[in-house]
Amino acid sequence: MRLEAIGKRYGMRRPWVVRGVSADLRAGRLIRVSGRNGSGKSTLLRVVAGVSLPSTGRVTGRPHTGYVPERFPGGLPFTGREYLLHLSRVHGLRGALGRQRVEEWLERLGAAGYADQSLRSMSKGMCQKMAIAQALLPAPGLLVLDEAWTGLDQAARAELDAAVAERVAAGGTVLFVDHDPALLAGREDERWNFDGAGGVTVLTGPAPYAAPQAERVTIRLETADAAGVMDQVRAIDGVRVISVDVEEAERS
Amino acid sequence: MTALLRYQTSIMLRSHRWIFPLIGYALLIAVGAAGSTSLAETLDWSGAMLVPVVAFLTRAMLTAEPDAARACVAAAAGPVRAQLATLIVPLGGGAVLGVVAAVFDVLTAAAAAKAPASGLAAKVTAAANHPGILAGGLLIALVCVLVGSAAGALCNPPLLRHPAAAMLSTLAAIVLALAADVSPASAAISHTTTQAASPVAANWPGTGALAGAVCLLVLTWAVSVIAATRRDNWSASSG
Repeated sequence: MRLEAIGKRYGMRRPWVVRGVSADLRAGRLIRVSGRNGSGKSTLLRVVAGVSLPSTGRVTGRPHTGYVPERFPGGLPFTGREYLLHLSRVHGLRGALGRQRVEEWLERLGAAGYADQSLRSMSKGMCQKMAIAQALLPAPGLLVLDEAWTGLDQAARAELDAAVAERVAAGGTVLFVDHDPALLAGREDERWNFDGAGGVTVLTGPAPYAAPQAERVTIRLETADAAGVMDQVRAIDGVRVISVDVEEAERS
Repeated sequence: MTALLRYQTSIMLRSHRWIFPLIGYALLIAVGAAGSTSLAETLDWSGAMLVPVVAFLTRAMLTAEPDAARACVAAAAGPVRAQLATLIVPLGGGAVLGVVAAVFDVLTAAAAAKAPASGLAAKVTAAANHPGILAGGLLIALVCVLVGSAAGALCNPPLLRHPAAAMLSTLAAIVLALAADVSPASAAISHTTTQAASPVAANWPGTGALAGAVCLLVLTWAVSVIAATRRDNWSASSG
């Protein structure tokens, strides 16, 4: 999937919210989108998810998409289960498969006991679980999460982390915004940083997410050639980040 | 598309947004049936009253879904198809009402034929002897459903987002649709009143009216769909 010079503004006389964003969204990548409030993150996410069309540029090769909006206020005349069954059909899942996926995600997110409540009477967190469940129902090739973790309990947060990892491992692309830097920390393959004017800088991580999990290892080395040793350690397969705390040996 | 139509139909039925248009329409056709002298005239009236009913049903559907829920559906099925489903469902509702009203008109008509017959079977037979009357009436209803849908699509979100402005312009569009000479609905209805010399004469809308209504519908739906794919926020204040 590719973004080609995406620009977005809401009206001819309004300022550009996003401009000149070009990027490849490769399979099996986890992408964190960051930037200050109002910098255009949500707008870019909606364009990537195909919810709205860009004002300039184009998006090509979008796989089947699941989108979790920033806030999901419910407001529809359905129970949670009815809503998810409708959305499973909209996602193209038929009959028994759709029902099975709905039950599976209600269970995983810890919402099965509340699924027969009306969306209008659900708590914020429970509504958020419905929004997450509908996006994950079709096992989408592209998952777009706009602060999807907000309002979730610990168990559901962990389950969403796991679901993101599953999507990436299955060759999907996951794009997410969250203001908590600890969320999925160190797991992202790319970071898209918004500047103040609607532009995006893409920072690419060195390894795909499918690589083995990073571990923190502290090694104490005594050497006369610190720079040379560092290069050798960096060259070891699987090493991604090195932080060095050099202590100068006392010369006597 | 079937899944989207099913979803939107459920929203319409479950949110009870059909109640006021339905009650309003039932009252209007009851009044019309009581006041007309021929079946053709009755059908004319119940067709014309579909314009406000479909316009407000369309408004109801365009304001039924919160932005976030619409975004989820648009990501899953594409924003164009999502918006089309939102517009098709009230149009279909109007068509169903039109057919029901035509059946009601036939069953209650006092002068379906030259010699007013009493009894249900006689009325049905009289109408069956002049199928043109019913067919013409249904075509008029079709023109009015299309025009009503066009008015609703043009005067409501995502094109007109402020609730007061949307309500008032929807009302104005309905009045224009029924009164202005250029409106296909008005043309269809007035075309017939000039014809209705004999109580068994069939009233046919002009082909111009039908073509005009189709063009109007295509144009307004296109504008509404284009706006739906470009605007993220349908509430009045921002975006």
